[in-house]
Amino acid sequence: MSSIYFVALPLLFGFATPLLKRFGKNGVAYASTAMQAALFLLALNLAATSSWAVEVISINPPLGISFILNGASLFFVLLFMLLMLLFSLYYLGLRKEEPFPDENKFFILLNMLLASSIGLVLSSDIFNIYVFFEIAGISAYILSAYRKTPKALEAGLKYLLTGMVASAFLLFGIALIYIHLGSLNLAVLSGSFHTLPFNMKLLIGLLLFVGFGFKVEIFPLNFWVTDVYEGADPLIDSLFSSIVVKAYLFVFFHILYLFMPASPFAPFLLLAGAVSMLAAEIIALKQTNLKRVFAYSSLGQVGLIFAVLSLESRMAVEAGFFIVFAHSVAKMAIFLSLTSVIHAHKSEEISTLKTLNSPMITVTFIFSMLSLLGIPLFAGFVGKFLALKSFASSGEFLVLGIVLFASLVESIYYFKIAGNLFGKGERGAKLRLAPSQKAVFSILILLLVAVGTMPWLYSGFLHNASAAMVDTATYANLLTGGLK
Amino acid sequence: MMIESLFDYFNQGYVIQSLVDTGSMILFFIGFFGLLTQRHIIKIFMSISVMEIAVFLFFIGNIFDVKFTAPILGDGHDAFVSMNDPIPHAMILTAIVIGMAVFALGVSFAIEYYKLTGKTNINDISEMGER
Repeated sequence: MSSIYFVALPLLFGFATPLLKRFGKNGVAYASTAMQAALFLLALNLAATSSWAVEVISINPPLGISFILNGASLFFVLLFMLLMLLFSLYYLGLRKEEPFPDENKFFILLNMLLASSIGLVLSSDIFNIYVFFEIAGISAYILSAYRKTPKALEAGLKYLLTGMVASAFLLFGIALIYIHLGSLNLAVLSGSFHTLPFNMKLLIGLLLFVGFGFKVEIFPLNFWVTDVYEGADPLIDSLFSSIVVKAYLFVFFHILYLFMPASPFAPFLLLAGAVSMLAAEIIALKQTNLKRVFAYSSLGQVGLIFAVLSLESRMAVEAGFFIVFAHSVAKMAIFLSLTSVIHAHKSEEISTLKTLNSPMITVTFIFSMLSLLGIPLFAGFVGKFLALKSFASSGEFLVLGIVLFASLVESIYYFKIAGNLFGKGERGAKLRLAPSQKAVFSILILLLVAVGTMPWLYSGFLHNASAAMVDTATYANLLTGGLK
Repeated sequence: MMIESLFDYFNQGYVIQSLVDTGSMILFFIGFFGLLTQRHIIKIFMSISVMEIAVFLFFIGNIFDVKFTAPILGDGHDAFVSMNDPIPHAMILTAIVIGMAVFALGVSFAIEYYKLTGKTNINDISEMGER
């Protein structure tokens, strides 16, 4: 009884809010952060002890609901808990100066988003995945429209429209799966999916690709992403970029590996990822809005992760996980510092950075961008290096070339931002940061540098995670074994 | 007589099956057509809802068997044989509730947006975009 806490406690938190409100106006904020800290410690504890674990909720599989905790899902749970905790600590500093309107609702939505992201990762039942898909969607729509300005509402509307279309297609895919195979359990389906005729596989594959494709922000289906990032508060963008997308990415590839190992569609996915990266980086060049630039940079990195994961080898998955880690941490750092900058200067243009007067934020920006670029000594380097290595070893030199070219393009606009950061000009008033915010930035930078300089400390953990991700046989046996 | 034989014809499994299949697919594409052609934001939400309902119908219609009974023990049924599968019904109930919630949320966003800007055409909803 441990992996269920990650989903149940944040969801129950919503019901406890009326009670917590009685402890003054800080009650909800502190309780939420304390709960997230406790869950983070629990995740750390699990990382030290457990390997594979099935958590059955009331009825045995394949009928009942079950959560599976293995190396791969544990990696994501740990990452989400860590980032969410840092996010909350940052917000504790921010709320003294500029709190969100109607804070209690904000915390409920935040914890709903956390619970559903973790639920997506842990769930071993495709209908449960649909339900968590929708919960994550609903909380994300509300969070992106939270400020109720025309821009925020437009972002919410766009996100919601694409989300509705995506969920209709996903449900269609799930319906076809159930009609033809008579089960919803991922483990049972992984054994029987290959018995379907090719056309049906293609149809289901397409429906699931459209369903998840909107959410994982992959090339033909990612037209809405940058508008949502621009309209939403930068604080919320940090969650979208570093937690929500990663949960959808994991669950998409989890299903792909289980249903179609060595699938004939993998080359298309590989190309979609590479094209997605290239297109995003090129369009990012001419953007002048800071949120939009980093939204495109997010699209680019997600495309890279998508391409690496569709190679389906263990080494490639390890590379993908390294990039997931580096990108999540770096984007959390960037969007949190953007929040501070935008709230202080009330402007989102790149030229605002010329008037920025805060060494801490400058350093955070520079380190995160170096890491995203894949410069040695930063976490991004390890991921990009391993990714290029796995492209080369599977003979995908076209994709390798595209990725290298896209990284080159990426470096151009990062240098533009760095130029603005160090450019000569009138510096504004010194930007004040709360101690907790300073601590968050230091931790994020330390993580990037520590993983970059000492990757061997973490590669063992990620090795296990990637081995668990591709080990579909054990996954299937674990559930069907628990059946008897 | 005529009507009875007509009912008998429609009560055959494969007739119902093909009716449900073609009907729900037509409904799905009506929704899809609406999504692509309509420009009023509320009409777009309605189109997507029609698509979702088509999926619900398709799912239930394909699992349902006329000869089987409801999955309830009693009235002479003492084992779970010749009964319809209850899982899709439970799933679709969940999906209907979720769909309705998302629809309501979307309409509330649209209303808030209309109050602020007075726009309902999706083509005009473009505060942001490539500059």
